[in-house]
Amino acid sequence: MNGAQNGKQAIPPAWTRIFKTHPSIPLLIVLIAGFSIIFPKRFLTPMNLSSILGQFVTIILFALGPSMVATIGSLDLSYVGIWMLGGMLVWHLTPSLGIFAILIYPLLGFLTGLMVGTIQVKAKVPSFILTLSLLAAYSGLTSILSGGYPRMVRGYEFLTGELIPRVPTALFWTIPLIVIAIYLMRGTKIGTYLYAIGSNEEGARLAGINVNRYKILTFVMSGLFTGIGSIIQFQHLGGSVPLSLNMNTMTMPLVAIVFGGTLLTGGSGGPDRTILGTLAFVVLYRGLYISLINPEILQLIVGLLLVLSIVVASRGLRGVSIT
Amino acid sequence: MATSTLSRWFHGNVGMVTSVIAAIAIIAIFQIINPFFLSPQGRVTLVYAMSYFLIVACGLTFVIMIGSFDFSVVSMLKLGAIICALYIDDLGLMVIPLALLACTAMGFINGLLFAKFKVPSFLATLGMSMVIEGIALYLSRGFLHIISNRAFRSIAVTFIAGLPSIFYWALAIWGVCIFIALATPFGRQIYAIGGNPTAASLCGINVVKKRIYVFMLSGFLSGLAGILYMAQFGGGSIEMGADMSIPLFASVIAGGTSLAGGTGGPQRTILGVILITWTQAGMSMNAIGHDIQLVVFALIAIGMSILTANRKTMSIVK
Repeated sequence: MNGAQNGKQAIPPAWTRIFKTHPSIPLLIVLIAGFSIIFPKRFLTPMNLSSILGQFVTIILFALGPSMVATIGSLDLSYVGIWMLGGMLVWHLTPSLGIFAILIYPLLGFLTGLMVGTIQVKAKVPSFILTLSLLAAYSGLTSILSGGYPRMVRGYEFLTGELIPRVPTALFWTIPLIVIAIYLMRGTKIGTYLYAIGSNEEGARLAGINVNRYKILTFVMSGLFTGIGSIIQFQHLGGSVPLSLNMNTMTMPLVAIVFGGTLLTGGSGGPDRTILGTLAFVVLYRGLYISLINPEILQLIVGLLLVLSIVVASRGLRGVSIT
Repeated sequence: MATSTLSRWFHGNVGMVTSVIAAIAIIAIFQIINPFFLSPQGRVTLVYAMSYFLIVACGLTFVIMIGSFDFSVVSMLKLGAIICALYIDDLGLMVIPLALLACTAMGFINGLLFAKFKVPSFLATLGMSMVIEGIALYLSRGFLHIISNRAFRSIAVTFIAGLPSIFYWALAIWGVCIFIALATPFGRQIYAIGGNPTAASLCGINVVKKRIYVFMLSGFLSGLAGILYMAQFGGGSIEMGADMSIPLFASVIAGGTSLAGGTGGPQRTILGVILITWTQAGMSMNAIGHDIQLVVFALIAIGMSILTANRKTMSIVK
């Protein structure tokens, strides 16, 4: 905070670089400081911090896979669909498969990713239309399979059994996932290729990258991460899935990705940014939640912030063709 | 120009032929299953289902024609409808221009974000749809609002020759949209921008301005649809029109307007609207659940996007 206000000389170059690539860090610091000063009695309470962590887990598990897809400039909106349909399939399969029924989640994620990737690459359908339609289809299927009643699955409580008071156990499951995602994008050639494809697909193709294969791989990775994440998510959110699609569940991970400074036109972003973006978004959301008398206005404010952050993130995009 | 327009009209492509066959098949199937489908009362149901839908779909068609996407049409419909319901008792019929103005303003912001600030249109309108629904939720407080003003209701539910007047409104607006798309310079410029924005810009078209106009048109038509929706149903809450977005763009794509932009047009959209809304009405008449309908429309949307995707000239699709 102080360093940022003291002028440019006070900040070492490394800091400026980090602030530039991770614009959500200063945002996060300002938000935490601001809310703590305005609401000292309500913001820094153990209960509020615990809900911040809980909501962080919820959003990051959905946002992790799509944030990889965002680096190649596509969108994957099917995450909520995988979670909903998978939950219903788990309920159907638990009597016959027992505890192994939960493995339907990674399988469903993998197959969804493979299908989306193949259709997107071979048929050249814009990914957001494809995944949005798929999301609708999955939520419809969930409702059909449920027979009209919410279905509760028991037997996976050990996944989120309390280890440390007030800290959601799902967080400890989430951390290895985050580490693997960051390693994939920052430490392997897959990540480098994806950034290359995102910033200039034709160039990447001419450089000898098999663009189609890597694009399919991205969607498969996204589906797989969502699938594995949904195992944790499923129990984290109470062992049952909703029967109808709530748009807010779908938009919030997107908002988090954009909050991390990722512009969804490709070539930028990644899981590390998304984590910070999610944290910033959740802190802001909880802060607004405790400060507002009138919760109906919350959606309006979140929407405005999303629009604002997109505009800020897309500055300097002149000359890039957009659709 | 005339020949290219004609060839565009008659050069039947895969998507259009599929839609025609599918529409005829669907009408035949539902008529055989349930003879109520095309009875006088059934016709009124069909017309009620398609009218406001056609108006929104026309607005969305223009946006897809320039190669963009408007996610917020359903939200703008809600906003227009909610404004009507809330202020009709105070303002009388003056509420109509107010609702139209509000929705056009939202369309203007959409266009500004997209054309001026270079935000991808899908993302900009997704964010705006949250804002617009937030406004509608804030105004309506989530309650159901009923309209008792008879003059307002009569806009949509007066019967002329056995069909409600909303149908004639929708047809008239559809006609105007076709005129705009095919016979005005603005319409030709839309096709040019959709085909190749850079070339259009080099030809002296103010691309930024025209893109903003297209989004304003989409907002205006959504608002109009919202007003007629409210006049037709006589009331509504923020929950109305839920799950309308998937059938909506399924209908535009099924009509033959490719997501790549530059092709199609409102003259084709009516085909998709008939296909989608009559399937919806027919399934509801035969007690097929809402969830199955959703799956069917999602599959139609995916299938038609695959069929109509332009794989020859589009090398990079995100």
